[in-house]
Amino acid sequence: MTAYTVSMEHIPPLLELWAKEYDVHVPVRDVDGFVNFSPWRPSAEIAWDYDVAYNSLKRFFLPPREDLLRFDLAASTAEPVMEAPLQLLFGVHPYDVKAINQLDQLMDQGTADVNYRKRREATVLVALTPEHVSDLAFWSSVGADSVDIGFDMYFTRISPSSFYVEVLSPKGEELLLARGELPRSTLPEREAAKRKKAAIRAKADKNGISFPWKQTPKLMSRHWDSPLWRNKARHCLSCGSCVMVCPTCYCFDVREEADLDLKGGRRFREWDGCMLPSFALVAGDHNFRPEARDRYRHRYFRKGKYIFDKIGELGCVGCGRCVNACTTGIANPMAVFNDLWEADNHES
Amino acid sequence: MAKKPKIAFFDFAGCEGDQLQIANLEEALLDLLGHIDIAAFREVHTGDTGGPYDISFVEGSITRPEDEPRVKEIRDKSKLLVALGACASIGGINCMKNHMPESVYREHVYGDKARWYPTYAARPVSAVVKVDAEVHGCPIDRGEFVRIVKELLLGRTPWIADYPVCVECKIAGNICRYDMGRMCLGIVTRAGCNACCITEGAHCWGCRGLAPHANLDAARYAMQDRAGFTREEVQDLLRMYLGFSQATL
Repeated sequence: MTAYTVSMEHIPPLLELWAKEYDVHVPVRDVDGFVNFSPWRPSAEIAWDYDVAYNSLKRFFLPPREDLLRFDLAASTAEPVMEAPLQLLFGVHPYDVKAINQLDQLMDQGTADVNYRKRREATVLVALTPEHVSDLAFWSSVGADSVDIGFDMYFTRISPSSFYVEVLSPKGEELLLARGELPRSTLPEREAAKRKKAAIRAKADKNGISFPWKQTPKLMSRHWDSPLWRNKARHCLSCGSCVMVCPTCYCFDVREEADLDLKGGRRFREWDGCMLPSFALVAGDHNFRPEARDRYRHRYFRKGKYIFDKIGELGCVGCGRCVNACTTGIANPMAVFNDLWEADNHES
Repeated sequence: MAKKPKIAFFDFAGCEGDQLQIANLEEALLDLLGHIDIAAFREVHTGDTGGPYDISFVEGSITRPEDEPRVKEIRDKSKLLVALGACASIGGINCMKNHMPESVYREHVYGDKARWYPTYAARPVSAVVKVDAEVHGCPIDRGEFVRIVKELLLGRTPWIADYPVCVECKIAGNICRYDMGRMCLGIVTRAGCNACCITEGAHCWGCRGLAPHANLDAARYAMQDRAGFTREEVQDLLRMYLGFSQATL
């Protein structure tokens, strides 16, 4: 992988140049201290040291509400709607890149999701080695501490004023060098980046699941009937917050709305989630998961087993967003997996 | 549709803010008028061309003895009766008085004329007559109202959100009020408002009523045990709109 050394003062003009072609989003801290990916402005102060972005990045590929079709009621015809603005996400942490990589695989399974694919292809991802780890994060214990695919560039800050930048794609290289040649990184700079990544990983290792994550699917299989599901779900609001904030949850509902003239209309999709009571409601008023505990268990089986069975990774990248979003404090994959692991070891 | 459906609006105890929302639809209202005949809508024109009505929208809660025969008569003359807005659908803020002694609220409202104005505990329309559908909110969401009317005109069952406001907050990308140390009823309140109050910087007051699967025990746990608000603070917020529900017990 080619790597360049980029100085801090080089970055704003680069962003300005990219912003001419792309909708550039950067992590920005708001007045209350929450960091979110926001449209880049020349005045934007990039939150280089953020620990986790409040909202996950899935909305850039799977918008919360997205039109899919325009239809004509009289002619019984429909036209697909596909919007995919050119966008560049700057400063994405590895666990979030990992989440996007998962979506890439899952949305391509079966009938490929063309709307997702189009947006994804119109996106340039610039990764960034984190400087801080959120107290609620456990990404280093679920295999999401590093990524080697999915991004176009990967920034690691190696000094207050410089970055070690790996380029993975031709597009990434073209964009990075858009304002002229840059010095190739030297061996010491590469070592510095390596140390930086190791240091943050060591910090992240302080919090995590207490066993090798690849054991999780088998662990889950043993605990379908665990009392844990009922005990935790007692406090479940069925509010869907955990799935909405999850960077790897991708379920949606499809609805339609007619125009005011009632002659045509649009079909759109909207985020949905398995924690919501009507998610598994089908014709005849039958609900496959009528109780909160059914839904709660299902979510952790998705995260710990079902997604693994599809792609060989946990459906959880350990970002900790659900842990934060759950107002009753029951959403926590790390706590659930650890509790089950402990229960197992006590029984055996 | 062969014939334009005949629509009427009626109001009971309430501020008529929901009808005002409809009047405020302006151009969209003119488009809607192409599909319907308005029999009665006193915020827009005088008079009532009389029943039977295809759809009656009833605003306000039922809180006086004379309200009951009137709403029953409207029901008899209407094919579909739709409760419009929080007062009609869940009792709304009128139900705050349900938690006070009758003499106190009657005197508070009518002063020394209180004895001339009998009122009793406020109730949603569905407590008195059968309600076929509800348009939630205080006030109603104009966009949602238009969508519901379109769906009724197309002969479809209107889609009404059956999940809490939290979903729409996440869709909007809002910072959770609990992360800001504030209380919010979005965790139990039916969505459909696009989390407008939170998006504008306030919190959810619960005006759209409880979501169908609202877990009130969990909500109390979130508000009192986890977020540290007192039982009084929680109760005050719950009684503002949800006075007719079991949420306030």
